[in-house]
Amino acid sequence: MKKLLTVMAVLVLASMAFAGTQATNTNTVSPSLQVSANVQKAVQLTLSTGSVAAAHCAVAPGAGTDYSMNFGTVDGLGINAGNCNKFSPTTPGVTNAVYWSDYSLTPVFSSQSVTTNTITAQVTTTFGGVANGTSNLIIVRDSANSATLPASAASFSNMGSASADTIATNAANGTAITRYIGIAVTPANGASVLTGNQSATVTFTLTVQ
Amino acid sequence: MMRASSNGDANISHPLPLRPWAGTCALVSSLRAVLIILVRISKILRERPVSKPLSFFTARTADPFRFSYRVAPNFFRVISALLLLGAAPLALAQNIGNIQAAPGGIAVSGPKNNRRSSFGTVNGLGIGAPTAGATVISTTGGVLYTSPINLQIGGAGLGNPAVVGVFVSNNFTQSALLQVFSCRSGCTSAANYAPISLVSGLANDTPVIPSPGVTTNQTVTVFVGIFVSNQNGAAAVPSGTTDSAQITYQTFDGATGQLKDTDKLNFNNPNETIQTAVQLTLGTATGGLTISPATDYAADFGFVNGLGIGAAAGLTPVSVAGGTVYSTPYLLQPEFSDFSSSSATIKVALTSNFAHPAILQLDDSASSGGPFTQITTTPFTITSSANSFGSITRFLGLFVSNTNGAGTFTGPDTATLNFTMTVP
Repeated sequence: MKKLLTVMAVLVLASMAFAGTQATNTNTVSPSLQVSANVQKAVQLTLSTGSVAAAHCAVAPGAGTDYSMNFGTVDGLGINAGNCNKFSPTTPGVTNAVYWSDYSLTPVFSSQSVTTNTITAQVTTTFGGVANGTSNLIIVRDSANSATLPASAASFSNMGSASADTIATNAANGTAITRYIGIAVTPANGASVLTGNQSATVTFTLTVQ
Repeated sequence: MMRASSNGDANISHPLPLRPWAGTCALVSSLRAVLIILVRISKILRERPVSKPLSFFTARTADPFRFSYRVAPNFFRVISALLLLGAAPLALAQNIGNIQAAPGGIAVSGPKNNRRSSFGTVNGLGIGAPTAGATVISTTGGVLYTSPINLQIGGAGLGNPAVVGVFVSNNFTQSALLQVFSCRSGCTSAANYAPISLVSGLANDTPVIPSPGVTTNQTVTVFVGIFVSNQNGAAAVPSGTTDSAQITYQTFDGATGQLKDTDKLNFNNPNETIQTAVQLTLGTATGGLTISPATDYAADFGFVNGLGIGAAAGLTPVSVAGGTVYSTPYLLQPEFSDFSSSSATIKVALTSNFAHPAILQLDDSASSGGPFTQITTTPFTITSSANSFGSITRFLGLFVSNTNGAGTFTGPDTATLNFTMTVP
């Protein structure tokens, strides 16, 4: 009986814990926190102003688009300087003037099972609403798909509007790469030529697979 | 045996020895008392044998002070009249006939002027289930353990209203930690409780039935409470320290202010036991991720990725080497009472890691932007100077690796942290 009373007394005097957050007759308490998360794959492709060429048309936040680049006032004879770089026509009135700029692309991706990737570019809204290359204003890109400075207007080729052009393959994750983009202005004349403010949209796509 | 009684006047008790035939005296109205006594005496005198002397009290024939009614009939009539004159005012006196346990309240036992009750084991945070019938109400600086009790008011009339007050006739020894309170109405709110006066008298008592008083006999339910301070430091006593107090209810004649009756209630059955109490809760900080109750708490960071894209509300992605830390503020809310120390230590440790520890890690920081310290199984001291009731804003970070290729992981995962607060 005495032993039983002793046990009961110990039980009464023992500290009392009420859930993990509070207790009496003791000096310590230990609540727990369960942290949960759901990890997802992620990809990111950012554009920024180039840093390689002599001059750079700024890559700025767009209005209705992610980014914008303004080449300024251009013409088919290369008379206007534009906002950044220019290749005047080799034969004015016959060949195109090319106004161009460098820009940077930074692909980033995580939790992907592979690291192989491609970056493509496509004119998704063309000048004048016609296929790129069929009006007097043409979106062009560096044919080499490299950071090497274009040497002349011949270094550029028309960017696809019907399909995307690959401009980088297996780019390093998180590392900026340099490419070149421009507007070729043909010396065409006639009723259908575009003048004044004109715009087109290029869509870049990063795919990791 | 003669009994002056009244149907419905239960729990008869009176401090005055109104017992001419060793009977029990009840608290009855004045007119009723007079009538009952007169009828009883007349009946006895009428029924007694003329030849048999009438003995009063315990007088025996051998007693030199034995009286015979036949010898001195007028003497006994005079004595009877005198007794009536003396008894009537006593029966009229306003009083607390009984302090009783109220339904749903703590138990009350013992005779008049030695009523006994208790709030049992108490603490300054109100943690745990209180003794049966007690209710805990949080208030500034501590908690109130409260209970209703019933006061039976007798002897009240139109010309002699009963006014009742209460004072602490024997205070707690640990008066810095324990204090007796009283409440008349709205007693679910701590704001309606008042500390009971330490000084007696009509002018000093804490009012229970204030002037002008009540003019009818009735049972009044009032509340008593024991305030338990949540302070720490010099006033602290060892956990398990016991203490008791006594309060005295005083009944006054509302017309004259004259004290008519007292009844004492002791909080000593058993003595109150003061215990230390500790509590650590986690809470949602302003602008932070919701910390929800679980076992014990849960925080869901939702969809996360190594780039910090599309962070959920309450999360701030911070780009760090190798990935992103999703940072959220949260609250650590320490509370403790009756400790000699005024500060506590709070540590955090990882008790259950993510299934993919190379992808997900938990970090601690004092600020949203870091620097972040990884939380591991080794307890990490967040602070060693936590004050009771001093909420601490801390930042919990979830690091998500941006690795790709073999070994990467997508999907849900969980980990558990354990926070430990220790008051030295």
